[in-house]
Amino acid sequence: MSKKLLLKNINISGIKSFDVYRREGGYQSVEKALKMQTGDIVEEVKKSGLRGRGGAGFPTGMKWSFLAKPEGVARYLVCNADESEPGTFKDRYLMEYIPHLLIEGMIVSSYALGSSVSYIYIRGEYDWVADIVQEAINEARQKGFIGKNILGSGFDCEIYIYRGAGAYICGEETALLESLEGKRGLPRIKPPFPAIKGAWGCPTVVNNVETICAVVPIINEGGEAYSKIGIGRSTGTKLISACGNINKPGVYEIDMTITVEEFIYSDEYCGGIENGKRLKACIPGGSSVPILPANLLLRTAKGEPRLMNYESLADGGFITGSSMGSGGFIVLDEDQCIVKHTYTISRFYHHESCGQCSPCREGTGWMEKIFYNIENGRGKMKDIDLLWDVQRRIEGNTICPFGDAAAWPVAAAIRHFRDEFEWHILNPEECLVRNYGLANYADPLEAVAS
Amino acid sequence: MAEEQELFKVTIDGITVEVPKGTTILNAARKIGPEVAPPTMCYYSSLEGSGGKCRTCLVEVAAGSTKDPRPMPKLVASCRTEVMDGMIVKNVTSKKALDARKGIVEYLLINHPLDCPICDQAGECYLQDLSYDHGTEGTRYEFKRRTFVREDIGPYIQLHMTRCILCYRCLMVADQLTDKRMHGILLRGDTSEISTYISKAVDNDFSGNMIDVCPVGALTDRTYRFKNRVWFLKPMDAHRDCDKCCGKVTLWNRGEEVFRVTSRKDPWGEVQKIDGKPAWICNTCRFEKKNTADWIIEGPTKVNRHSVISTNHYLKKVVPPDPLDKVLNGRSPMLMMDINEVSQVNEPDIDLSILPGPATSTTFIERDETKEIKETPAERLSINDHKKP
Repeated sequence: MSKKLLLKNINISGIKSFDVYRREGGYQSVEKALKMQTGDIVEEVKKSGLRGRGGAGFPTGMKWSFLAKPEGVARYLVCNADESEPGTFKDRYLMEYIPHLLIEGMIVSSYALGSSVSYIYIRGEYDWVADIVQEAINEARQKGFIGKNILGSGFDCEIYIYRGAGAYICGEETALLESLEGKRGLPRIKPPFPAIKGAWGCPTVVNNVETICAVVPIINEGGEAYSKIGIGRSTGTKLISACGNINKPGVYEIDMTITVEEFIYSDEYCGGIENGKRLKACIPGGSSVPILPANLLLRTAKGEPRLMNYESLADGGFITGSSMGSGGFIVLDEDQCIVKHTYTISRFYHHESCGQCSPCREGTGWMEKIFYNIENGRGKMKDIDLLWDVQRRIEGNTICPFGDAAAWPVAAAIRHFRDEFEWHILNPEECLVRNYGLANYADPLEAVAS
Repeated sequence: MAEEQELFKVTIDGITVEVPKGTTILNAARKIGPEVAPPTMCYYSSLEGSGGKCRTCLVEVAAGSTKDPRPMPKLVASCRTEVMDGMIVKNVTSKKALDARKGIVEYLLINHPLDCPICDQAGECYLQDLSYDHGTEGTRYEFKRRTFVREDIGPYIQLHMTRCILCYRCLMVADQLTDKRMHGILLRGDTSEISTYISKAVDNDFSGNMIDVCPVGALTDRTYRFKNRVWFLKPMDAHRDCDKCCGKVTLWNRGEEVFRVTSRKDPWGEVQKIDGKPAWICNTCRFEKKNTADWIIEGPTKVNRHSVISTNHYLKKVVPPDPLDKVLNGRSPMLMMDINEVSQVNEPDIDLSILPGPATSTTFIERDETKEIKETPAERLSINDHKKP
């Protein structure tokens, strides 16, 4: 049983309410932090080695220390709760069941960054979640943790909720800031980065919900202690939202030393593949990271067991590895069709492209149409190479990482499952009536057992 | 003495230039010349915040600066990236950048109707130039292109959204030149369209400048639509006293008739800067003063010699003198060969109509053999070469 930091009180009944949360030791970090210097808190977060949990894995302490601090200009902390990555639902879980953890983290982080006004940008589809968080803010305000001069420290802390309108692109930090300012959610051209010029032209830090929640145990237990959990540069615990063909889908808190194999098959976590089938492939970090076939997922290309952490999942680059991403763990069993699956992802990215820069606007739509043809038995052999060409010219040429996110899954699907595409093209009638389970990617565990 | 500006040295395609701090790579390249300047579809120097969207100006940065000579991992949009001292940029010498540009031209064209033969912009269209320079001759796109219904926005401008490449330039004109912004982008992704909300008319004195900034034929002048092709018109600089704008324009004439009035363009296709200010013109000058008598003509506009517009330019073309007479020096021209000696096509005894197919050189060789002439035409040609008449 690995150590739990964020979800340790999740099963206590009534943890949503302020009183129960406070009784279980909540808001201690606020009291502790208000006695510290702001620079020390940033230093503590730096020491903890906490990395952004939103997908890119950028060290949070570093991000905080980049924040420009000109005199007389307001600074903002914005919490990115626009969790729209398909397969990721960890932030919703946190906000829905333990909203005070987020509020506590927000107060500590706001104090550390000197942001008197902070925002939580919640995606539009999470309307009931926004109500829960609003309720938590109201309670905290009543108890004096939010408002003017909190706990007599002289620090004013206001936290507002801003509801998005349900656009995936608004999860990108600069698009989020545009949306927060009331404009179209189009990503800005960087530089300047938000740490210099963010919301309303002021220095801004944008952090994921889980990142901000993780600040609470860092302050409570100290950055040193936090950095001892986990392995290498992957410190602390990470929430993984597991879904797909597994027995126990849900949100799991892991310390980053367990292997992928243990995560999928142990009863403590996913509990194995549904209906006793075999593992075919898995997307380890939300729809935008490359898909991995079972043999590469459980073992790296060097034959070492793959661990659930930033470094190990990225081992081998995008050729034989993937990425931790936002922790949306999607498992596909042997009956799933990779072409159909990638078509679905491609359709999503086409629908969500903001249309600001040309490669992404036109390329995502083009890819979706080619996929539609292949999936429906109208594909041609040259379409595979065309898909490869289209994704190659989107990747890296766009304003924001959305273009990369749209290109990577397609590239990985072709790289690892090209024969499946070819099968679709060669058997146009058969591919309409059945999904194609490919035995080439047999579960290595199965091979050991037989 | 004014404080001297810090100058940064930047090398673009092997050519070093010194530019003040804060200049973008694109402007540094434009300073060197059109050979190394990346193409742009959305950047417009007179419009604040433009650029970065079309991605045609992507360049490779081989070294970030003298202090930090690491190359940048990704291609950068040169229109929005500022130069650093000692930066080394590769534009046309970078395979990666050219390949990316090729891709972007392809993306821009997949939903473009390619109706150049009936498009008013043809001849002065930047997408035409771009695809000529960087595109491929065919398309790999096999699907339906997106289409929209043509829309009149106001009495002067027609919006043909099908041709639009979403460069956002006209939005910035609306934002920065006019008081009330009337139009914007609806929807998102590849379904997004530029429109006024529920077909409202754009009614503003400077709205006509949207036509000038449009790189393609999406926004066209309704008073000029289908009247003429641009290369049949003769551009002339002219001015008049206008209380709304600078009044300095280009008239496009055919004969005495003024077909259209536009603002003056610089070599990059942007509105000329007169006294440091972009010379936007008002709708009165643009749409209502279509009479030569309204204007004081300054003289013909200089048009780039490579532009299709210059093909009918009324300035007399400078034709280099024919050196033949000087070379011959009074002698009559000497033919290298006489066609009748080489070929027998003109000989009366050859009846071409009896040949089963088109006559070839072998046909005559066969006939030559019957006449017992062993020379092939090539041999005969080589003999004739030495003959002096």
